[in-house]
Amino acid sequence: MLQNLEVKKLSKKIGFRTILSEINLLLEAGELAVFTGPNGAGKTTLIRLIAGLGSGDKGEILWDGKRYGPDNGKIGYMGHNHMLYEALTVEENMNFFSRMYDKYDSKNIERLLRKVDLYFYRYEQVGNLSRGMQQRLSLARLLVIDPWLMLYDEPFTGLDTEGQQLLRQIIQEKQQEERIQVLITHKTGLLDDFIYKEVKFCQGKLVEVIEGRAEL
Amino acid sequence: MTEYLRKIRLIYSKDLKIEFRTMNNLVSTVVFALMLVFIFSFSLQLADLDLNTVYAPVLWVIILFSSTLGMDRAFLREKENDVIEALLLASGECSSIFFAKFFGNLTLLFLVELIVVPLYTVFTGYSSSSNILLFLATLLLGSWGLALIGTMINSITVQLRSSRVLLPILMFPLAVPLLIAVIESTNSALKAGSGSEGWLYFLIIFDLIFVIIPLILFDYILEL
Repeated sequence: MLQNLEVKKLSKKIGFRTILSEINLLLEAGELAVFTGPNGAGKTTLIRLIAGLGSGDKGEILWDGKRYGPDNGKIGYMGHNHMLYEALTVEENMNFFSRMYDKYDSKNIERLLRKVDLYFYRYEQVGNLSRGMQQRLSLARLLVIDPWLMLYDEPFTGLDTEGQQLLRQIIQEKQQEERIQVLITHKTGLLDDFIYKEVKFCQGKLVEVIEGRAEL
Repeated sequence: MTEYLRKIRLIYSKDLKIEFRTMNNLVSTVVFALMLVFIFSFSLQLADLDLNTVYAPVLWVIILFSSTLGMDRAFLREKENDVIEALLLASGECSSIFFAKFFGNLTLLFLVELIVVPLYTVFTGYSSSSNILLFLATLLLGSWGLALIGTMINSITVQLRSSRVLLPILMFPLAVPLLIAVIESTNSALKAGSGSEGWLYFLIIFDLIFVIIPLILFDYILEL
């Protein structure tokens, strides 16, 4: 299990524009980090670099003190888009991604599809589902690989109240399982009853870290 | 290595499943190839040219043009909804995605050739005492090379605007040496003659180079 994730002096430029500037951050097992800040602050770039989808110009990202790549099964990433094949059915998407991670288990897939309330739609092509249902399936895909590090980029977008509650429940379960979770959201109110580390960004800089944030 | 091959097979099977379900790429490529066969066959008959001279070059031009249309969509379904990001994380080794796409393109090319070659031969009325084995080896190596170049260029252009225009512009210059070799080798095969070993060796080396290049470059290409 991953004990800590450390971002050390990470910088990234695209052209002449600085996207990230000397970011330092330490996350421990079981910790939930919530990245906040205005659009274009560098939150998505940082989460993508942590996922291993690209590399910084300077600095490094360490897992338990070691450099890492996008190793199998350790990183789960839920991006802006649902990242699913629309021409495949719900079940085929789950089967494909679980097999890619060598974690195929039909019983587990059935359990997860029931959990996200999509079992009834398992033979439906993803392109025919609503945005919210696609988002739920994206969440199920994340769960089927059972990653050590879970990264969510605006995961509440498109979800109805039940979906948001389901996501909150999953975040809570993963906190109890000591997984490191990083979440980008503008809707921090939905995390009111969570203890989390708020990491504020502005213009590519990490401006403030508020430890143990809980609105209760 | 087994794990690497398993992932290639999974991505390849998934692509085939999507392709046969939607038939988007296959149908348009086959229809385009058939139109090229008809146009070139009629033009050759009207021009009253020596078929022994023009059969091979025209055949390969048809295959090249058809392949451009077919391979144009190889990475498109991964681009939609950012599926490529999920696939990159799942594959671990980026090059496994490349080789799965390459085998997909190669399958498409073989299917097109299966229809194009007999029809083109019938329509042009060409007959000769050809060396079938050499002809098939040339088709295999030529298609292998075209699929490699097309997949590599497509992986770059799909990330850019105007990708449909850029694919042939970037692919054709790279395909010129391959085209010369396959035409020469096909001509030798059709004359049932020998002396084409040099071109076959050239094709093998060309294909090997384009197997190695993506292994080195593909990680950087996907980071563009």
